[in-house]
Amino acid sequence: MEQLGINLPGLVAQIVNFGLLLLLLRLVAYKPILGMLDQRAARIRESMERAEEIRRQAQRAEAEFAERLNEARREGQAIVTRANEAAVRIQREAEERARAEAEEFLRKARTEIDRDRQRAIAELRAQVADLTVLAASRVIGRALDKPAHLAIIEETIQQAEKAKLS
Amino acid sequence: MPQERSRLPVPVVVVVVLGLLVSGFLFVRSPQPPHVEVAAERLFTIGSFPITNTILTAWIVVLFLVVLFRLATRTMRLVPTGLQNLAEALVEALLNFCVGVAGDKNGRRFFALVGTIFLFVLTSNWMGLLPGVGTIGLWMEKDHHEVLAPLFRSASTDLNMTLTLALYSVIATQIFGARTLGIRQYASKYINLKGGFIGFYVGLLEFLAEVAKLISFSFRLFGNIFAGEILLGVVSFLVPFVAAIPFYGLEVFVGFVQALVFAALTLIFMTIAVSGHGEEHHAGEHESAPHAAQVEAAASH
Repeated sequence: MEQLGINLPGLVAQIVNFGLLLLLLRLVAYKPILGMLDQRAARIRESMERAEEIRRQAQRAEAEFAERLNEARREGQAIVTRANEAAVRIQREAEERARAEAEEFLRKARTEIDRDRQRAIAELRAQVADLTVLAASRVIGRALDKPAHLAIIEETIQQAEKAKLS
Repeated sequence: MPQERSRLPVPVVVVVVLGLLVSGFLFVRSPQPPHVEVAAERLFTIGSFPITNTILTAWIVVLFLVVLFRLATRTMRLVPTGLQNLAEALVEALLNFCVGVAGDKNGRRFFALVGTIFLFVLTSNWMGLLPGVGTIGLWMEKDHHEVLAPLFRSASTDLNMTLTLALYSVIATQIFGARTLGIRQYASKYINLKGGFIGFYVGLLEFLAEVAKLISFSFRLFGNIFAGEILLGVVSFLVPFVAAIPFYGLEVFVGFVQALVFAALTLIFMTIAVSGHGEEHHAGEHESAPHAAQVEAAASH
């Protein structure tokens, strides 16, 4: 043992020395560095989780946005369709009204014309009767009994009309 | 162009090296071969306590490591720079090694001792390679002739130091084992009364194995580093210049490997000690194979 250099004082000195090193390194190296490593690992994990959360949120927002866009598009489409339908309806209504008005106008115009014609025919008939009576009285040279004549004329005209009709 | 300028022509290098070798061999050789002294030389005594050169060097190693890590961790930042980065990388690599072998929980428990052993042994080994260590010293009277007692001598070349580490390693292994498995179960590994005569004998062998571990631990480290220093001394004595350079490279490597081996074996013995008695045969066989592979893989780096 002596020749190998192993002796109690040397051994004790080395034991104390290494124990001291163990203690000091634990204090100045292992504790702070392991603490820092753990802290950093926790931090990285946390930030990765947060990034994941943000990514998910972004995805959700994007989906929502697309959904809304689709909805808006559908709504727009619906509005356009409705507007088109309304336009067609309004056009048709307007056309119908215009046609009805035109027909009404035409009808009125016809009745007016009819009435005028009737009046004109009546007047004409009266004048023809008068003139005939007058002409006849000149021819005969004396006044005819006007009411009796008128009856004859009337009868004649009617016969003429009948003849014309047939 | 810069590469062209910085490259010396091969013939010049050959001539210079040969010149150094020959001139060193002819003119600068030391008159006497290096003195081989197994025991650490006693420099002085404090009171009645002898201070040897290895104790002095061990103190310097402790001081160096503590100051280095103190400087590195004085202002810890979340984003590390410079020395903090180095210290963190070192500690993290050691921690990963421990966790890789012993698992997360046990790896962290063993880490302080394993890491400290590695750092202490590595620094001691490499400090022995510094110029002046082992060569600058005091002339002292011994056995009636003057011998040089180096002022500094690598702490790993003192059996007191290697035995100290072996004691720490083996005793800590027993403590971890006993604390994990309970004293009763752990003690049954050594004092086995249930297994009859064979069981008792195996327990005795287990106990002897622990003693053998003390011896193998301390002599492996001591032998490697001490032999390395003698090798360097002898080569330098025979051919003073150049010739020792490859051996320096070798000794740097040996110093690293020995530190790693000491730390890794401690770690493995602890891991085996905390894995239970019953499953020891399975666990020992299953786990010691990857362990050995890991040690060898790490050593070959």
